[in-house]
Amino acid sequence: MKEVLKVSNIEKYYGNKSNLTKAIDNVSFSVNEGEFVGIMGASGSGKTTLLNCISTIDTVTSGHIYIRDMDITEMKSRDLARFRREELGFVFQDFNLLDTLTGFENIILTLTISGVNHKEAEKRVLDVANKLDIADILSKYPYEMSGGQRQRVAAARAIISNPAMILADEPTGALDSKSARMLLESFENLNNKLKATILMVTHDAFTASYCSRILFIKDGRIFNELIKGESSRKEFFNKIIDVVTLLGGDATNVF
Amino acid sequence: MFFKLSLKNVRKSFKNYALYFLTLTFGVCIFYIFNSIEAQKAMMHISESTAQMMMTLTELMGTISVFVSIILGFLIVYANNFLIRRRKREIGIYMILGMEKGKVAKILAAETFIIGILSLGAGLAAGVFLSQGLSVVTAKIFDVDMIGYKFIFSQEAFLKTIVYFGIIFLIVMAMSIISVSKYKLIDLVNADKQNEKPKIKNTWCSVILFILSIACIGTAYKLVLKNGIKMFDKRLLFEIILGSIGTFLFFASLSGFFLKVIQSNKKLYLKGLNMFILRQINSRINSAHISMSLICLMLFFTIGILSTGLGMTDVMNKSYKESTPYDVSFEKEGEGSIYEKFKEYGLDIYKYTDEYVEFSMYQHEDKNLTKGQILKNFNDKKLEWISDESPLYLIKVSDYNKLMKLQGKDGIDLSQNQVAVFSDYTEAVPELRAALMEFIKMKHPINISKKDYEVYPKLLTDAVVTGPVSNIVVAIVVPDDVTYKSSVFNTMISFNCNRSSNSFDAQDKLEKELISLDKKYNDKKDLMMIEGATKNVVKSMLAGTNAIIAFVGIYLGLIFLITSAAILALQQLSEAADNRSRYNILKKVGSDDKLINRALFKQIAIYFMMPLALACVHSVVGIKVANDIVKTMGHINAIGNIIITAVLILVVYGSYFTATYFSSKRIILK
Repeated sequence: MKEVLKVSNIEKYYGNKSNLTKAIDNVSFSVNEGEFVGIMGASGSGKTTLLNCISTIDTVTSGHIYIRDMDITEMKSRDLARFRREELGFVFQDFNLLDTLTGFENIILTLTISGVNHKEAEKRVLDVANKLDIADILSKYPYEMSGGQRQRVAAARAIISNPAMILADEPTGALDSKSARMLLESFENLNNKLKATILMVTHDAFTASYCSRILFIKDGRIFNELIKGESSRKEFFNKIIDVVTLLGGDATNVF
Repeated sequence: MFFKLSLKNVRKSFKNYALYFLTLTFGVCIFYIFNSIEAQKAMMHISESTAQMMMTLTELMGTISVFVSIILGFLIVYANNFLIRRRKREIGIYMILGMEKGKVAKILAAETFIIGILSLGAGLAAGVFLSQGLSVVTAKIFDVDMIGYKFIFSQEAFLKTIVYFGIIFLIVMAMSIISVSKYKLIDLVNADKQNEKPKIKNTWCSVILFILSIACIGTAYKLVLKNGIKMFDKRLLFEIILGSIGTFLFFASLSGFFLKVIQSNKKLYLKGLNMFILRQINSRINSAHISMSLICLMLFFTIGILSTGLGMTDVMNKSYKESTPYDVSFEKEGEGSIYEKFKEYGLDIYKYTDEYVEFSMYQHEDKNLTKGQILKNFNDKKLEWISDESPLYLIKVSDYNKLMKLQGKDGIDLSQNQVAVFSDYTEAVPELRAALMEFIKMKHPINISKKDYEVYPKLLTDAVVTGPVSNIVVAIVVPDDVTYKSSVFNTMISFNCNRSSNSFDAQDKLEKELISLDKKYNDKKDLMMIEGATKNVVKSMLAGTNAIIAFVGIYLGLIFLITSAAILALQQLSEAADNRSRYNILKKVGSDDKLINRALFKQIAIYFMMPLALACVHSVVGIKVANDIVKTMGHINAIGNIIITAVLILVVYGSYFTATYFSSKRIILK
């Protein structure tokens, strides 16, 4: 299996000498093609910082990150924008859709920025929309859609450019449980059928149970790793709860 | 404590307020300068009549200033509302922390007060400073000499500025207090999250509206071009209303129409960030089209008033030189010596001069001697106002030669069967010159009492009387005995004040003497029949009219220009905060900074250009119509004035645009 992401010994410090916060403290791991990896941790554990570093939105203090064997920590900002556009897809908790554009336009935007021919681009949008079951809402504006629909439009935007990896930051955070389940099923679908590589940050055990592998982060370090393997989702969910309890993470699981 | 907070707020948000503050300062500065014109006469050597004109100008400026302060008042209230809206969240936090609404209002009022005091101070300082320089311009426009430098400070204008702007700021304070009292805490706290739901209009509806707006504007153009603007009547009012409605509809539908057109070209629409920029403009124009239309009309007014107003001064300056060949001229209808009449009332012209020329214009008994003899073959529309039936007056060649000699010019030799065509109107109406030259070339004889006279080969155009507007239009200079069978139409006397070394002061003295004479004998009709003008009077009247038109034009033009530019700038800046999240998303989906900068530039440029572009088209029609009117008074150099206007607009509008672009960039990309 080919390696898509390799994180090696990265560190991210905030503050100054007298008051140093290690948001990420010597983290190394790798993700293979076609994997659905979750990163779990409590608030402030550094999981979002980690995702921001991988997504090139933030820079690391030391260490290297390789995506498809390219070292993104050494890239210039101009190349980074292109890299982000071509190799990465994003799904955010608050959707980050442009309210002035229709669903169709939101999805196709990534392609028009890259200068893809408009006929080809339109075809790809319709293709992806069918897969995510949003073909009938493409002409609607975000404010006319439900939360789940918005997030699926965002997911469509993320995968339209056939990225090396999809990065999702708490994608179910703003959704009700039914919409969340539908979104996660589409993620699973993308992962199984299209062999999309997904890296998802979440603090919710149910959301995490859809992943094939989970990294737990505590105080900026990798604390544990769980692999789903052949077990059912229910069994995997129980394992996750065990680790979360051990982490002393979510307040709901303390008692 | 609260005052300290306000002070800190002002200092912190100074960068955001900079544009607002500068506009205020600029407004105050202009207001002071144009109200201080009268004080500038301290630096100049002016005649009695110029002083009168300056007073009229000052009075007029006072009236216009009321209007200007209303416009600026609206701008300030509008700007202030914008700024408060941007700070909703901050106000929300004050209230969550337990501050009462009254105290929040106090903080806002204090801020307005601080900004008001600062801009008033800075504006007045700049105004006092700049008005020193302006006096040079004033002296030039009034065409008077500077006595020497003197520090000029107009207490009247100073106090007036403080009172007017004080009232405006008080109103603004009251408005912000009212708006705070209406806020609900939940809205304030969620202010950042609240997104204006974009009103999506049916794009087909936009297309229809757009076509309708073009039809309205087109009809208005056609009507105004056909009818001209000779009078302010119902027809003109209708044209103006039609044009305004067209403008309004134009901006209401433009972006929708544009979107529809470009959307149909997928290749263009789905390229780079085009889609984003278009949608961005479309989403805002719904709420901005009213202000956009107003801005367009204001810019139209600015362009129109500046280019034709400055054009008028050109006409006036030219006719001044033509119409003042002598220091003094008097005129009365019919026969009788003016010299003798004055002497009878105790005014001896020899006190002022040692040489005068008195002459008459004659109307021949031959009723066929009309202007038509010369002009009937010319059907130029521009000459329609000269009636073919009006009599052609005669001037004796001996009188003419004497008049020329007084000007230090050569006379002409006429043989017994020759007449010369005379006109002092040719500079003002080039078409008349062309027609007369053509007539002379045709060698068509002029018939007087059944006798044909050959036409002298040269056109005589040197003015023979000093008066505000040259008024002989067309006459003929004839051998002396031709006037034998004529009645005297009017009599004129002209001389130069060469008895005193300073003609300027001598004219002033003569003027005063005449005024006292007028008062003393105001029951004597025969004295009253004499009209006259000195060079000073002509000059000050023309220069004064010039100055009034130029100053009113520049004053209103500048105010309208900064008001429109400031409104556009504030709208864009207040949107910048909303746009920030949108541009952030663009960044996340992989647009690089260059692409984003370009999109931002295009967006702001389109916003600034839209009203200006339509205003320019309006102005082309407006200036054309206005020029047709001005042309009856004289020829104007339209191109030159349009260039001056364009440069002025480019500088003022351009700097607002640049400032807006860089501030937006700072807000969005920080």
